[in-house]
Order: sequence, then structure tokens, then C-alpha cells
Amino acid sequence: MADQEVLTTLKILIIGESGVGKSSLLLRFTDDTFDPEQAATIGVDFKVKTLAVDGNRAKLAIWDTAGQERFRTLTPSYYRGAQGVILVYDVSSKSSFNKLDAWLNELETFSTRHDLIKMLVGNKIDVEKRDVSKEEGLKFARKHHMLFIEASAKTKEGVQCAFEELVEKIIQTPGLWETDNKRNGVNLNNDQAQGGACGGYCSVI
Amino acid sequence: MAADEDTDVFEITDFTTASEWERFIARLEEILHEWKLVNRIPLPPVPKNDFLTGSWLEKTDDLYFADFKFVITYHYLKSSSAENQLKEQRLSPDDEETEEHKEDIIPTVLQDMMNTENDFPPKAHCLCRWYGLQEFVCIVPSTAIDSDSRSKILLSSASIALSNACCQVPIFIQIQHQWRKMYSGISVIPGINVEFDVIHLNKPPSQYNHLAGLLDVFKAKMATQVTPRPTVSVAVRFTYVLQEWVNSPWSQAFPDISTATEDDVGYTSFWDLPFGACEDPVSELNLACTWPCLSEDMIVENQNYSDLDPLQAPQWSVKISMTENPLCLLGDCLKQFLKSQTRKETTDELLGNILSTEEDNAQAADISQALQRLTEPKVAYNIPSISNVVNKASSRLAVKPGHAPISTETLNKILLFLFPDAKDSFENEDNKEEETNEAETSDQDNKYSELLKNLDNKLKSAPVDSLVHKLALCLCIINKRKQHGGFQGLAQLWQEFVLEMRFRWENKHLIEGVKKGSPNLGTCLLNQKLQMLNCCIERKIRREQLYKGYTGDLDSPQDSPRGKLQKESSSLGTSMSSDSLNQSETSSRKNSKTEFSQENSGEKTTSVKAMSIDSSSEDEFFECDETNVENAQKSENSETATEQNDKEESMDAESETSEASLYKDSLNYKPEGRLTPCQDYKLLNSEEPMYIPVTQEPAPMTEDMLDEHAEILAKLGTSSEGAQIRARMQSASLLSDMESFKAANPGCTLLDFVRWYSPKDYVEEEFEDENGQIKIKGHLSARMLIPGNVWVEVWNTARAVPARRQKRLFDDTKEAEKKMDIKHCHVYNIAVSNLKKWSIEDSDIPRLKDLVEHLITKASKITRLSFQDIKKYEDIVGLVTYAELCIARAKSLKNKFSKDLLEKPEAEEEMDNFVSELLHQHEVPVTGGPCGPAGSIIHKLFVMAQKELHMLMDDDREFQPTDDAKNSVPDFPRPFAREYILRTMAPRPAPYSKTLPQLMFCSIVDGHEFRLAGAFSSDSTFQ
Repeated sequence: MADQEVLTTLKILIIGESGVGKSSLLLRFTDDTFDPEQAATIGVDFKVKTLAVDGNRAKLAIWDTAGQERFRTLTPSYYRGAQGVILVYDVSSKSSFNKLDAWLNELETFSTRHDLIKMLVGNKIDVEKRDVSKEEGLKFARKHHMLFIEASAKTKEGVQCAFEELVEKIIQTPGLWETDNKRNGVNLNNDQAQGGACGGYCSVI
Repeated sequence: MAADEDTDVFEITDFTTASEWERFIARLEEILHEWKLVNRIPLPPVPKNDFLTGSWLEKTDDLYFADFKFVITYHYLKSSSAENQLKEQRLSPDDEETEEHKEDIIPTVLQDMMNTENDFPPKAHCLCRWYGLQEFVCIVPSTAIDSDSRSKILLSSASIALSNACCQVPIFIQIQHQWRKMYSGISVIPGINVEFDVIHLNKPPSQYNHLAGLLDVFKAKMATQVTPRPTVSVAVRFTYVLQEWVNSPWSQAFPDISTATEDDVGYTSFWDLPFGACEDPVSELNLACTWPCLSEDMIVENQNYSDLDPLQAPQWSVKISMTENPLCLLGDCLKQFLKSQTRKETTDELLGNILSTEEDNAQAADISQALQRLTEPKVAYNIPSISNVVNKASSRLAVKPGHAPISTETLNKILLFLFPDAKDSFENEDNKEEETNEAETSDQDNKYSELLKNLDNKLKSAPVDSLVHKLALCLCIINKRKQHGGFQGLAQLWQEFVLEMRFRWENKHLIEGVKKGSPNLGTCLLNQKLQMLNCCIERKIRREQLYKGYTGDLDSPQDSPRGKLQKESSSLGTSMSSDSLNQSETSSRKNSKTEFSQENSGEKTTSVKAMSIDSSSEDEFFECDETNVENAQKSENSETATEQNDKEESMDAESETSEASLYKDSLNYKPEGRLTPCQDYKLLNSEEPMYIPVTQEPAPMTEDMLDEHAEILAKLGTSSEGAQIRARMQSASLLSDMESFKAANPGCTLLDFVRWYSPKDYVEEEFEDENGQIKIKGHLSARMLIPGNVWVEVWNTARAVPARRQKRLFDDTKEAEKKMDIKHCHVYNIAVSNLKKWSIEDSDIPRLKDLVEHLITKASKITRLSFQDIKKYEDIVGLVTYAELCIARAKSLKNKFSKDLLEKPEAEEEMDNFVSELLHQHEVPVTGGPCGPAGSIIHKLFVMAQKELHMLMDDDREFQPTDDAKNSVPDFPRPFAREYILRTMAPRPAPYSKTLPQLMFCSIVDGHEFRLAGAFSSDSTFQ
């Protein structure tokens, strides 16, 4: 299984306010575990997982970032080259939701791609006290052209689905991940060949 | 079954093919089956224009007659519309109905022959052009067949195969030499045979040089005996060629080579790359005048008289031919530049012979490496220590006079262009003027300004007009111009550039033309590196100013009381200019990251170092390296660093529980490095307000450094140990912040710190104290309380050290030295992308936008690739060249169809459309024919060309129609080519045979060719 051919390696970012459960989401996805006492991330952390989507195997290099304000001088350096980003908020914390705009700004400033796929994840839906409704999340995602899902790293709900959906979308987006031997667009050489030599097809003079 | 019984004894059906001939036929049949050309229902007629819009496809196979090889090819038209119809047909039929209809359906071949919709396709296979066929099979022999008998054998083989296979697709055999395009062909339809044959002569026999004669040939060939003779329908097309563009000769200056010796003619400056084509990219215009579908009685063309006046033709269309591969200056320039990237010579080899000996040991950069490698090149440079470079770097390369590839004068010019701040004042003015001019011209182009703006974002390049941009331009031009030494000159200029960079670093001149601030990762590596170097220089300047106590220019009136406070509270007597850099633009964003692994004691070379600290504070602190700090503290403060160290260490040994004692101890030191109060928070263990400390900025980094770091981090793997190490590696800035915090808030605890640093982890809880009052108490969140978590660990190791006395997270000296080596990197990507800008500026041609956009996307993709590949850049250069060509063509056409020839100004838009269509389509119909606006211009163009021609050779009236023009010159020259298609329905071979389509195509190209291609069908049943 392991040496089955991997179609591509994708870089995925996880960002969002401190304490919304970024590392927990990641851990749930990669190791299928949940630690209620997940240590606060310092700087960035990194995990790898291979995922099969639509029969394609993609290797995911997932960069988990610290959410603290102060780390923001540090973490955006790692935004470079990401094809997908998971923006996490905590459905039980309005403030984490209100900060989303700032995170998107940050992303805009530091990511090197303009076409990267963004996914909004409302985490901690297991928590009883809800502060952000699903509709609000949906509305935000629609406004910013993002994928949206609600999830819980604790109960496992939606986690796998979120990552799969994101990867699928990335793979479906032309030009986002292909290595360059697959050309898209005009092949100039062909054009010229047609224009120049006439082969059997030429005009009367 | 019955047959089986009858023949069962010894009769065997033999399918083994004995002779070569049988084998040939069998193979042919096999191929027809393979290609599914047998037993098909006829295809629908080809819709109008489909020969042009649909796509022609081919299937090919090899075929042998004995050991004589043929290539057999099936050509067929695939048009989307036709396909749809086909599907409908296949879906609908009830079996009976199709049976009934079978009679009515006209076989594809016959239908094609009579279809007048697609006469004279602008571009098609000759068989399609002649007979209007939408599908046919061609058998091309490997060597020319020149005997009649051989071609007859082949043709009859084909005929047998076709009837065996029930295939109605015509098969053509190419005979004679390929260039003669002689085909004889056959199509076998039940009850009908169609024979195709071609006559090809060099010169038209005079009696057949007109319609009347051709009609005679057609009728004679058809040899039908019915009366009255069926009427022949005629389609005619005359083509006129215009090669002399009297009104608009191509005016592109042809630079460089002709004027190559010393002066700069052609290349006006070092900041303009040449652009455009050297020759007229549009070579000729073909005007085709068509009379579709006339009856033979309606027009007369014979030796003496012609009804076919181009100005009376109902349909006009125009085609332009382009010069093949005209030399495009820009593309050529870029190509050569790219080529130079692959050269392997070292600078030594290139310049060694002309460098004087004293410089020999200095720099021998391996330029091939330099230019090819994206990442830090292995340095062939031996880095000289600062002191001995200072004197060297200030001087130019000592080149033996007269031997340098670039003359001193030119070199000075270039360098002044690159580094305008080094200019004398009057020169400066001069240059300013030029610059503003440039700016104006680019401003004119509003249309593309938006695109241009985006360009900076899209391309990983350097901003337009930045130093890197200029450098790339210069390098490109130097490389192209032989009198400046070509590649040698390139090497020299690069050397000069590196020296200048070094000089600037040594002498603390900021590099101009490079954006301030930390490296912009959206730009190319070289640009990033220069930015980085600038950062270094800047810090160096600041540091040294502080060191000397110099508070000159940079000083500004004190405006921040906080700054004063800090000054006072600062324990170091050397505090002098906390605000000295208030106004410095550069203390802004320095987002990047810590240099963790590279910190070591070796950096104690400079004693006092300045740090630009918090971006928001605009305050400046400085620091000593540790020994100095200790000294200073020993003398001035009661608490020495060593003592402090001891204390901290002992604290480390103890656990968190000793916080109380720490608190007590820490009260002994004065708060340092406070920035602002942190809201209205109070320290938990005292009533002291909490202060946000002044912190260190993380070090700026270029993308290759970032990549290195990311790689190191990624390499640690995904295990929990790896994660731990990663966290530790990144805790440098956390540690720094904690130390600053401790220094600013004596007696603080981790809880205080977390409250500032990670508010989410400061959990507030209400509780009732012994007096029954409700109070709020904060405590650490669960995750901060995990034993052994990095936050706690780091907190415990953190000593109370204000930012200015901490180890620097960013060592400018070291980084700058590094930068000196790294500067060799990809220049060409910038060059390439900058040029794109050019093409865009010049292109106001509709549709070209698509091309340019494609170019940009492609370029942006390539420039972002982590692995830089020269091949890819070659592709881009190809695209650029193509774009350049398109622009040149468009310009040329615009010129030719200039507005002043237009009678009605309101038709301008139409003309614009017409011109752009000409550029993109093979053949463009002229709306309104000769009477339309485009038509009248074309008419005028021909008239002018004619006049010009006849002025030059006034006596030569040879080819004037005799009757028409007495004194005056005819408006049009003789048609270059004349094509006729004659069609009729006639019974063949006998009068009682079925009436079937007959066709003859004739083309007469002036002085070249006379060709008749006939397709005659005959009834094979009723002969």
C-alpha cells in the first residue's frame, strides 16, 4: 500500500485563533486520537498523511500553526507554497469567529498563491454552549468563496470529511498542483507548425 | 448449411492469400475494416464553413505490395455539428424506414461533389479543395510511381478492395512526384463508379486559358450523349496578390549590426530593450474575388473578353501571408541571454586574461554556477576579511586599460544608471528628466495598467524599475551587443555589480532601487537577497551610529515620553538615542523568523549592536554582547549578569513551586525594557501594573533561508519527539519574549505572561473568598499545566533580560557577509518577466490579450517553480517572441490599412475589427465586398501598387488587358491564380444511364501551374 504511487504532495495549512483546536483536528485526522490536554503549539508543527481521493493518492504535508498573536511574526513564513488552507474557529467562541477576517487578510498577504483553496471549519460542535450558528459560518464561507464544514475533533465528526473535501477540491483545480509536464493551455509549437509548413493542407497558391 | 453439406467432401474454402497482389488487396480490406469504413450510412453534407472550423483528422497505417511500401492515410473531417446530426440519424431510424430511405440517400461522395456551400476553402487538403470531399483515403507510395501500368494495378486493387469491403469512401493513389500532387482515385458505390483523375501542366495551353476553353474540356471529358446537353454551373475565384506596400514601407530601425562599431545607435539606452521585428512581418496580401454558382450561360470569359471584373465580384475575401520567422529583436536578445546561462566558463577564464595580477587572487566567481543555481552557490569566492576588502572593494576591478570588454565610459554609464545615487548632481538632473519621460510614456497606457499592477503579484520577479530590473536589462543588452564584449561583458558587469554591493556594505550606503523592509517573498530570489542586504546595511548603520554616540541626521526631536522613561530606566549609561530612528521607515514590518541554530559565541566580533525592536514602538535599543554586558553591569549595577545567571540556574533546579522565592529575588532588580502597560492588568502577585516588554524582532529571511528552515523542521518527522524538538527549536523567540517580559515585570509569573501572550490560556474563575465576596481568580488552562510542556520549561529557563541585552535573533554582520556570497543567482527570470511588461505595454491589439495572459500565467507558474529549469524559460522566451511577432504584425497591418485611406470615418471600428480578424483568421471575408470600407481601402492599395509598378516600367505593357486600358493603368494586376469549379448532372456512360454528378476543378496559377482535376461518375449497371 505504502509504495503505491503518490500522485502529488500537497501542502496544507491550518490556521486560526489560539485554542480553537487546530492541533486537535490535525491529530484526529492523522492519528485518530484526541487529547483534551493538547499542548499549545509553539511556532509551527508538521505532520504527514497520505490520503486517497477519487482513486488518486495524495501525500499531505500539513503545517499546524500557533494561533497566538505574538507568533504571527513567525508563522506566516510557512504559508509559502500552500495549496490549501484550513481556517478554524471555535463554534463556542464568538471572538474566534470574529477574528476570521484578520486571518484571511494575513493569508492574502503571505501566501504565494492566489488560487489556493480555503476551507472554513467550525470546530468543537460537541460543546453544548454554542456561540456561532451554522448559518453564520455558512454565510462567511460563501462570502469568501470557501468550503465550509462543522466538525468536532473530540467526537471525530466531520474531520476526515473536511480534509478529504479539501484535497479533492485541490486536485480538481487545474494548475494548482500539477507538475509541469502536464501542459495546459495553448501549445505554441503546434500553432507554429500549422502556420508554417503546410503538409498536405495548403491553399492553392 | 445446405452449402456445407454439398461441398463437405474435399472442398476447402481457401483464405490464404497466395500472390503478393492478393495479399495487398486483403491487407487493404483489412485496414478498411479496422477503420470501420465499411457498410456505413452516408454522412450528412458538410455545413457551410465547416472545412475551416471543423478539424481534420487522420488515421495512418503501412501497407506493402511485395516489398514496396505505401503509407495509407484516412483523412476525415470532424465537425461538432456534423457529429450531432449523425447521432440523431443513428438514434431515430426504424429499420423499415431506413430500408425505404436507402434509395433516397445520396452517397457521401456524390453529395460532397455537388455541395456548393464549401467551394474554395481557405485551407484544406488538395483533394478536399478539388472535389469537396469530407473523407477520403490516400495511398502514398514510398517512391514515386511513374508508370501508368503500375498506377492502374494499384487503382484496380483499390477498386476490388472497396467493392469486397462494401466501402464507399474514395481511395486515391498518389502518382508521379509528390510535389506534383497527382492523384488518381476511385470510389465504388453499388451501381455507380466514380473516377478521379488529375492533369497537371506547367503552362496552360492558350486555348484552355479561360472559362470557355475549360468548359470545352469538361464537356469533352464527360462525353455524354444526351440532348439537350445539361447546363454546367460554374464557381470562379480569382486571387490577386499585393506585395508592394506603397503607402507604408516597414520602418523599424535595424539596429546594432550595421552600426555596430562604437556608438549606441539603435540601442538608445541601457534601459530599453530593443523591440519589434527587423523586417516587415506581413509579406503579402491575397485578395480573392469569388463568383459562386453561376450558370455557364451567364458569364463569358474567353480570349478576348471577360465578364470577371474583380470590382464586380459578389464576394471578396482577404488573406495575408506572414514573413516566416522574421528576426525579432526582443526575442533574439532574450534568447541569447538565456543561452549565456548555460555557459560554463568561470569568470577567471573570461576575464582572467585581462585582469591585472593584483586582482587575481580576489574574486574568481564561478559564474556558471552563479547563474544557474537558485540556492546558495558553493562559493568559489574566498571571502576576504572585512578589513582587507574595504580598501579593495572601493576600487573598481583593476582592468588593464583597453582590454576590458566594456569600455570605461560605457561602464560608468551603466553603473550610473544602476546606481543613480552615485551620480554627480548635474548628471542626476539629467537622469531625472529621462526617468520622468519614461514614467510618462508608461502612464499613457491606462488600458493595461491594471494588468501591469497585477503583474507584480503574479510574477515572481522584481518590481519594474527596481535595481534588479535594471540590472537584468543591462545584462541582457550587454550580452547581446558584441562591441560591449558579449558574454565577457556580462561577466564583467556582474563582477562590477558584486563589487558595488560589497562596497555599499562596507561603506554603509543603502542600496537604492530595492524596496526597504524585509525580503518580499513574492519577488525573485535576487531581489530578496538585495533586500536582505539592505536590511543588514541599515542595521549596521544604526549600530555604528549608536556606537559612536553619533546622533546626527537620523535624530529627531523626542516625541515619546515613554522613550524618555526608558532612557532613564535603562541601566546602561550608553543609552543615547532611543528615538533616533523614530522616523526610519525601516523599523516597519520585519516579519520573518529567528535564527536559532546559527547563534554562537563566534559572533562577538562587534561589541555593541543595535536592534530595531518593536515595530509599533519606533524605539531603538541597543545591546552589548554578553561580556560587555557583564562589564557594564559590574560597574554600574549592583546585580551582575553572573549573579543573575547563578540565580536563574538555581531556579531551574527548583521547580515551579519556588516561584515565591523567585518573586522575592526578582524584586531586587529594577524593571527594564518596558514598552507600554498591558491594558490595566496588574501582576497577580503584586499590585504592580503589568507591562508589555520591548521585544526583539525576528530576523528577516529570504525564501531560500525559509525553505531551509522549513526543511529542517519537516525533517524532524511526525513523531512526538520530533514535534518536541521542533517546538524547542522554535522557542527561541518565545524565550526572548519571556526574558523581556520578566525583565519588564519583576516578580511576574508564567500566569502573567500567558495572560499577555496567549490570553486564551488564562482562565478566569469566580470564587467566593472567606469574606463571602465574589472574586475573580485566574489560572492556567489545562494545556499549560501539562507537566514538562515547553511553555513551562522555557519559562523556567528564561532569565530576566531585557531585549537589548539578549542574544540577537538576527545577526546582521553575519547575514550580510553571507549575502555577499549568495548574490549570484538567477537573473534571467527577472529579465524574462520584465520583458513581458514590455509586450503588454505595446499591445493594444484585441485578442493578443489572451496570448499575453497565457504568457503571464505560464511565466508566473514557472518563476514560482521551486526547481528552476532553463528549458522552461526557453518556452517563455518562445512565447515572448511569438507575442512580439504578433505585435509587429498588428502594427504593420494597422499601418497598411491606415485610417487616412478611409473615406467614411464612422467605419473605423469596422476596420479595426477587420484588421484584428486578419491577424487571427486564415481568411477573412470582406464585408460589402468591393464597396465596403475595407474593400475600398484594398482597392486603393492595389491601385497605388499598380501605379508604382507602371511608373517604374512604363513601356512594359505586356500584361495589360488589350481592350480595357488604353492609357490608364488597370486597377488590379493580372490575377495570380484563377480557380474554376464546373459541375453538372449528366447520365454516363450511355444516355439511358443514371444521371449522376460530374465535376471538374481547374486551377491556373500564373506562370506556375495548370491543373485539371476531374471527378466523373458513371452508372455501372446500365452501361
